[in-house]
Amino acid sequence: MTSRWWPRSLFGRILLVMALGLALAHALTFVLAFTERSMTMRRAMVSYFASDVASSVAMLERLPATERAQWVDRLARRNYRFALAEPLDAPADPSQLARLVGSAVASTLPADRPVQVIDPHVPGIELRLQLRLADGTPLAVDMDEPRLQISPWVLGALALQLALLVGLCAWAVRAATRPLSTLADAADAADALGADRPTVPLAEDGPREVVRAAVAFNHMQQRIQAHLQERMQILAAVSHDLQTPITRLRLRADLLDDTTLRDKLHADLAEMQSLVEEGIAYARSSQAVREPPQRVDLRALVESIARDYADAGLPVQVLQAVDVTCDTRPQALRRLLCNLVDNALKFAGAAELTLEAERPGQCLVRVIDHGPGIPPADLAAVLQPYVRLEDSRNRGTGGTGLGLAIASELAKALGGRLVLGPRADGAQGLEARVELPEALPA
Amino acid sequence: MTTPAPDHILIVDDDAGIRELAAEYLQRQGLQVSVAADGRQMREVLATQRIDLLVLDLMLPGTDGIALCRELRSPGAPPLPIIMLTARSDEADRILGLELGADDYLTKPFAARELLARIHAVLRRTRMLPPNLAKAEPARHLTFGDWRLDTTARHLLDATGAVVALSGAEYRLLRVLLDHPQRILTRDQLLQLTQGRDADVFDRSIDLLVSRVRQRLGDGARGSRYIKTVRNEGYVFCADVQTAAAVAGAAP
Repeated sequence: MTSRWWPRSLFGRILLVMALGLALAHALTFVLAFTERSMTMRRAMVSYFASDVASSVAMLERLPATERAQWVDRLARRNYRFALAEPLDAPADPSQLARLVGSAVASTLPADRPVQVIDPHVPGIELRLQLRLADGTPLAVDMDEPRLQISPWVLGALALQLALLVGLCAWAVRAATRPLSTLADAADAADALGADRPTVPLAEDGPREVVRAAVAFNHMQQRIQAHLQERMQILAAVSHDLQTPITRLRLRADLLDDTTLRDKLHADLAEMQSLVEEGIAYARSSQAVREPPQRVDLRALVESIARDYADAGLPVQVLQAVDVTCDTRPQALRRLLCNLVDNALKFAGAAELTLEAERPGQCLVRVIDHGPGIPPADLAAVLQPYVRLEDSRNRGTGGTGLGLAIASELAKALGGRLVLGPRADGAQGLEARVELPEALPA
Repeated sequence: MTTPAPDHILIVDDDAGIRELAAEYLQRQGLQVSVAADGRQMREVLATQRIDLLVLDLMLPGTDGIALCRELRSPGAPPLPIIMLTARSDEADRILGLELGADDYLTKPFAARELLARIHAVLRRTRMLPPNLAKAEPARHLTFGDWRLDTTARHLLDATGAVVALSGAEYRLLRVLLDHPQRILTRDQLLQLTQGRDADVFDRSIDLLVSRVRQRLGDGARGSRYIKTVRNEGYVFCADVQTAAAVAGAAP
C-alpha cells in the first residue's frame, strides 16, 4: 500500500475507498439492470421476429415467383431484411441467440421446413437465417447486431447520483477526521506546557465520541501540568529548605579555628549553595510568566548586559544590534541571556551577542562563542535539567547542568524558544538562538 | 572592637542554630548579642533593653519579617538600624523590605564575617546621619524630562513607558546625578559615588560612562538637555528631578 496513488491522509484514504466502492456498486447495479432489460427485450424481439418471419414467408409463398423479388425489399424492417439468396454453406452458428432465433422461427413454420442460422461473416450482419419457401426458393433473413440503446440522460443521472454520494461521503469523512487533526494540533500546542503556563483546553463539543476524546485530552493535559508543578514544587522545597542547614554549616565553619579546614568547608558549602540556587532558579523559571510584560528596548537591554560583563572584566561584546522594541518580561529575558552568556564564558571564555529583527513580529538574539560546541546529537539533551555532557563534566568546570534548562524554560515563558546549534558562519563554537515574539501571546 | 560600651545587636531568626551560631561569632568579635525567635520575643527584648541594631529574618513564624519591619518603621517608632536576612529566592520580599526602610540585606547563606562587616557599615552610616534620617530608598521613581528612573528595577522608562535597560555602572552614575541635581560633580566625586557597595571592577573612565548614559537618554554632548559638561570641573545634571513613590497604575 505504498503506491503513490494511495493517499497519505486518512481523509483521502477513506474517501478513496468509499468512492471506489460506490462507483463499483453503481456499475454492478447498472450492468445487472441492463442485462435483465436486454434479456427481456431479446425474448420479445425473437418472438416478434419469428411471427413476422412466418407471416412474411406465408405472404411470399402466395406471390407468384416473378413478383417475389420486388416484395422482398418492402418486407424489410429496421433491423432485419429479407433476400432471395442461395444459402451459404456454413455451419450453424453455435451462439445462444442463434439457437433461440432458429427454434423460435422453426416453431412458427411447418415442421418440414429446415431452418438454419449461420454467421455470414459480413460486416454489419450478426446472423443470417436461411430457409426455403414451400416451392424450394431459398430465402435469407439478415439480422443486424442487436443494439440496446441507452439514453444519454440515464448516464448523466447516474454520474450525478455518484457525485452526490461521493460529496456526502467527503463531508461525513471530514466530520470524522477533523477532530483528529484538532487533537493533534492541541497536542502540538501542549509541547509548550509548563508548570505555570496556562493550559489551552480543547473545546468539549461536537459528537459524543469527540466530546469524550476532548474531555480525556483535557484531563490528561491537567494531569501533566499537575505533575510538572509537583516536580517543580519538590525541587523548590528541597532547595529552599537546604538553605537553612547550609547557613548553619557556614556559620559553624566560621567559628572554626583551623583555617585550612575552614577554607575547605567553605569551598564545599559554596558548591552546595550554587546547586541550591540553581535548583531554585530552575523551579522558579516557569513562574517567569507572572512578571508583568512591558515594552522593552531590546538593544538597550542587550548592550547593558554586555557592558555589565565587560565592566566585570569579562570578554563579552555586542557584534551588532538593531533598534527594536518588543513586549516582553525584562527580568526574565535578562536572566535568560545572562545564563547563555555564563554558559559561553564557562565553556569558551568569551561571548558575543547579536540582536536582529529576523522577520516581522519576531526578534532574534544570538549568543555566540568560540568554544568546543555541542555535538548535534546532544543539542536537545543539554536543554534538559541536570544533563551534563561527559567531556564538560570532566573539565571540572562545575555548574549544575541547569543553566541551559533554565534558559530554555524562560524562553518558553516569554512565548519564544531557545535553539542551540553550530555557528551560522561555520566556525567552531556554539550559537544559542533566542527567538522572541514582538508581542507576547495572550 | 574593644569599645567601653559594646554595640548591642538583636538577632531575630526562627532557626535556633543560625541565631545561636551567629550570636556566638558576633560575641567573639566583641559585640553584645541578644537573640529572639519571633516577633513576640523581639518586642520583649526591645522593650527592656537598648538595642543598637536589629538583624531580622524575613521568614518568621507568626508575624513575618516584612510586617515587623513595617511596624518598626511606622511613624513614632524609635530609629533602629535593620539588616534583613533573606533567602536568595525571596527577591520580591527583599525589594519590599528595602522599600519599607531596612538599611541593608544579607542573603542566606551568609558568611559570618560578611554579617559583621555589614553591621559595622550600617552602624557607621546611621551614626553619621542625624537621627530619624536613616537613609532609605523612599522614591520608587525619579522623573526628569521625558524619562523616569525606576530605582527598584534599576531601569529607565521612556515617555511611552518602554523599558530602557541600564548597565550597573550606568545606573549608578545616573542615580548619583539625579540625587544631586544642579550641582557640579567632579570626575573624582562621580568615581567615588558610583562605586557602590557592590561595585564591580570599575576601571572605565567617567567620561565614557557619561557618554553612554547620554546616548541612552538621546542626549548629545552639545546642547545637552540633561547632563552638561562643565569644563575643567566635571558634570552637572541640569534638568528638574521629581521624586514619586510607587504610583499604583503608573507602576509597571
